[in-house]
Formats: sequence, structure tokens, C-alpha cells
Amino acid sequence: MPIIEAKNLFFRYAAAEKYAIRNVSLSIRRGEFVLLTGPSGCGKTTLCRCFNGLIPHFHRGVFEGEVWVCGYSVAETPPNKLSKHVGLVFQNPENQLFCLSVEKDVAFGLENMGLPEAEIRRRVEWALRVTGIEELRHRAPHELSGGQQQKAAIASVLAMEPEVVVLDEPTSFLDPRSALELFDLLKRINEDLGVTIVLVEHRLDLCASIAQRVLAMVDGELALDGSPAEVLCGEAIRLFGVGVPKSIRLYQLLLEAGVELEHPPLSAEELADLVRQKICQ
Amino acid sequence: MSLSFLEGLQFRRMDSPIHRLDPRAKFVIALSILGYAMLFTEVIPLIVGFAILLPLVFAAKVFRMWVRTIKGVLVLAILIFAINWLVTPDLAMAVGLALRFVLLVAAFSLFFLTTSPDDLGLALEQSGVPYELTFAFTTAIRFVPVLCREAQTIVDAQRSRGLELERGGLLKRIRNYLPILVPLVVGAIRRSVDLAEAMESRAWGVSEKRTSLYRLKMRGRDYLAILLSAAFFLLAMYVKLLSNQPLLPWLL
Ligand SMILES: Nc1ncnc2c1ncn2[C@@H]1O[C@H](COP(=O)(O)OP(=O)(O)OP(=O)(O)O)[C@@H](O)[C@H]1O
Ligand SMILES: [Mg+2]
Repeated sequence: MPIIEAKNLFFRYAAAEKYAIRNVSLSIRRGEFVLLTGPSGCGKTTLCRCFNGLIPHFHRGVFEGEVWVCGYSVAETPPNKLSKHVGLVFQNPENQLFCLSVEKDVAFGLENMGLPEAEIRRRVEWALRVTGIEELRHRAPHELSGGQQQKAAIASVLAMEPEVVVLDEPTSFLDPRSALELFDLLKRINEDLGVTIVLVEHRLDLCASIAQRVLAMVDGELALDGSPAEVLCGEAIRLFGVGVPKSIRLYQLLLEAGVELEHPPLSAEELADLVRQKICQ
Repeated sequence: MSLSFLEGLQFRRMDSPIHRLDPRAKFVIALSILGYAMLFTEVIPLIVGFAILLPLVFAAKVFRMWVRTIKGVLVLAILIFAINWLVTPDLAMAVGLALRFVLLVAAFSLFFLTTSPDDLGLALEQSGVPYELTFAFTTAIRFVPVLCREAQTIVDAQRSRGLELERGGLLKRIRNYLPILVPLVVGAIRRSVDLAEAMESRAWGVSEKRTSLYRLKMRGRDYLAILLSAAFFLLAMYVKLLSNQPLLPWLL
């Protein structure tokens, strides 16, 4: 059974005239690492909200179709109940830290769940360690940089040990190097703990190589769905205005020039390997 | 417009024997001084009150900030003095009432300077105040610096567009602040929607019984502080009763 399944999903915000999600059907298997991309305003954040019940419970509007997450129908399960199974990291880190210290924020969800003190302590320590912010534990949110806030927000979601983690542009405040570190962390969580990851990202250059699957949305519709190589090498994606990784672009240019590499490279390292291979042949 | 005066609201994390006391014990200390100040309007016992408070302030290493708070209410103290002096021509009484007010502020200032809002929230929670209220309190404090920064940004932005704040009569000046207030309030409302969304996503209200990472525990020294405060207050009451007799006329 898929861990996330949407069937003919439509959603229109109460205040809007246009549907923000139009006829989206998809299914994500347990343990998959999925990249969700698309131009600004195409409905990525809206789709994320459908995965944890904020839509239709928090944001009202016209909701049609079905969404099932971890065996729960989203239309019938409020977000606070779903939060044990699905964690959502929001775009703006500042507005998801409510407490006066990082440690207290990471504990917030666990306290709400009514876990015993020792269990809260164990999970808080784990989440702080895995995100590498142990030394920030007593800082107040306003004493943190944007990137540190982002890590604190991620730690507070991971501590709840959800089966699915949805991250809405979690690297918007990070420099490329910290972004890479974060992707590495997500990859480890995905591989070692089997957590399903849905990552919304614009910077495909940095993360195309870790995803198993890429979904591209355009104007509320799911336009492309396939392996990173399939989706990113196609003609369609460039027409949508999504930045294709430079390694792929180079692959295409080489192809036009008559040099065919074995397969499309998803990162600079992979590209280097393939070129080396080609030269050695 | 500078918003630096709001910095006084921000608790600074520090360590001292006073900081380490349980907030409830510290509150009892402040209360005992409040009770003490209420007993007397004479200058000498009020000065004794300051003399008792001062070592605590030094022990807490917050003397400079403490003085700053007191300076902040000095105008109010002078006002109290002036009004009382006008109403009753008793000079000593007017001085006493002003001093009493300053002593009250001084005692509670020590409390707030040495108690983190987090601990205060926890103390409230453990005293049976509903979590929703204590959460609202700590979250409000968490966003004070954020709103200050936002206000400063808006002030700068509006100024660069030619807004002059310190111009015109009183009414005009109040109107000048509208272009700052409106975006600030709109921003705060938008932020509160985001916050509510994030809280929902972190299991807010999912369990009947909420647990907590920290628990405040009263220790020996906290009980001792409460005991001493109570003893101090009772002693003061005793002296007060005696002082009504001509036995201790120097207190009058
Ligand atoms: N709370 C809301 N009320 C009304 N309309 C909304 C709301 N949130 C988003 N929309 C609209 O829904 C559409 C999709 O927005 P959404 O935020 O999902 O896009 P996005 O893909 O996340 O964009 P970005 O990359 O800029 O974050 C947009 O047209 C937007 O204006
Ligand atoms: Mg978005």
C-alpha cells in the first residue's frame, strides 16, 4: 500500500477564484525520496498542506477527491492527529519556532503528544545531534541565524519520529554548503531509518542526485513524474521555467555535439566520472 | 524613533545564586517586600527595606540593570511625591509614599531580572494556570524582539519615503505613526496565522494530558528563602505593632 496517495485531487482556497490544485493523482511508496519542483505559485506549498491535513482542516476551501496518508484519509483526520505520522517543515523557519529555547521547541510536539519525560529527553537529544545543533540548545530563536533556525525547525519535526517528512523549501536561508549538508542528512534519514521524504526544492543542481523520483507541477497540475534522469532530461521541464542542473545541460550540449555519455549525470561528481570514462575508452 | 527602551523587557541569561532559586521562591521574596512596604510609610523602615534588597541585587549581579529600571520609574515617583505633598502638607509622608513605590518596583524588578520567562511560564503552569495561557505568555515574549526589529524596519522604510515622525502638533504626530502601526499589525496577524498552522502540525492539543521536558522542583534553598521571607515579614509586622506604642518612637 502506498504511504501517500492522492486521487483526482482538486483544491481551491476560499479566498481564491482559481483552483490551486487541479486533478492531481499520485502515489508515493514507503521509503521513497521524492523531489517536488515547479515554478513559483504552481501549488507546491498547497500540495504539502494536503499531505498533513492543514488542507482542508486549517485552510478552508473547496476540496474534491481523496488523499490518503499512512492509511488515514486526510479529509477526516485533523492535522494535529496526523502530525504523529507526517511532519511538515515550513518555508519560513521563524514562524515555526514558538519557544524561548531551541531545546524547548524541539520538545514542543513531544510534550503535546504527552510522552513521558525520559522519552522526550531521548528524542530531543537525538534530534539535536542528528541536525548538528547541540550547542545551540539554550539559544532563543532570535539569537539564531536563518540557517540555524531552519535546522531547529527540522529537528523539531524529526523529534516526532514521523513516517513521512515533507519539507517545503527548507534551504531557502542556507548557503550552498549548508544546503548540501542538509540534503546529506535527509538522505541518511531516508536510507537508515526508512523515512519517506518529500522535498520541495528549486535548487535542483544540489539535490537531483539524492532523489529517487521527481515530480514537477505546473499551474496546479502534476505535469511530470518519473526518475530524475527522465524528468530532468526531457524537453518539457525547460519549457516550464524550472532550472535544470548544469550537469544535465552539459550532457545535452555534449550530445548535440556528438559526444554521448553513458547516462545523464545528476551531479558534478557523476559528470566528472562519466567524462573520465569516455576519455579512457 | 528608537526602540531601545524595549530592551529592558528582555531577560538576559545569567547565572547567580538568585537566578538559580525557584521562581516561586523568588516570587515569595518579592511578595514579602511588597507586604513590608505596605506596612510602612515612614522613611527609615523603607530605607531599611532597600538595605535588605541591595545585597540580593548584588548577589544576582544585576545591579546596573536594576538601577536602570529604577531610574525609569523615577519620574512617576516624583509625581507621587508632588501630588501627596500638595494634598497633605506632610513632607515626610509624601517622601515615604514615593519611596514605598520605588521599593515595590525595585523588588519586582529583581524578580523579573533574575527569572527567565520560560521558568516563569513553567511556574505558572505548575501552579495550575492553563497551558494555553502560559504558552501565550511565553510566545508573546519570544516575539517581542522580532516585532521590534520589524517595527524598526518599517520606520526606516517609511522614513526613506519621506515620512517625518517628529513634526506637527500632538494630533499630527499621532497620525504620523499610522503608516507604521498599520503594516506592523497586518504583519503580526499574518504571522499569527503561520504560527497557528505550525502549531497544528506539531500535535497541538492532541493529547488530553500534556507532559513537559522540564519540571521545576523546590529544593532546600528555595524553602529556606521562603521561610526567611515569611520570618522577615512577620518580624516587620511585630515591629509595626510595637511602633504604635511609644516604645519605639524613633520609627515614627
Ligand atoms: N492562503 C491562501 N489563500 C488564498 N490563496 C492562496 C493561499 N495560499 C496560496 N494561495 C494561492 O494558491 C496558488 C498556489 O500557491 P502555493 O503557495 O501553493 O505555490 P508554491 O508553488 O508553493 O509557490 P512558491 O514557490 O512561491 O512557494 C497561488 O496562486 C497562490 O496565490
Ligand atoms: Mg511555496
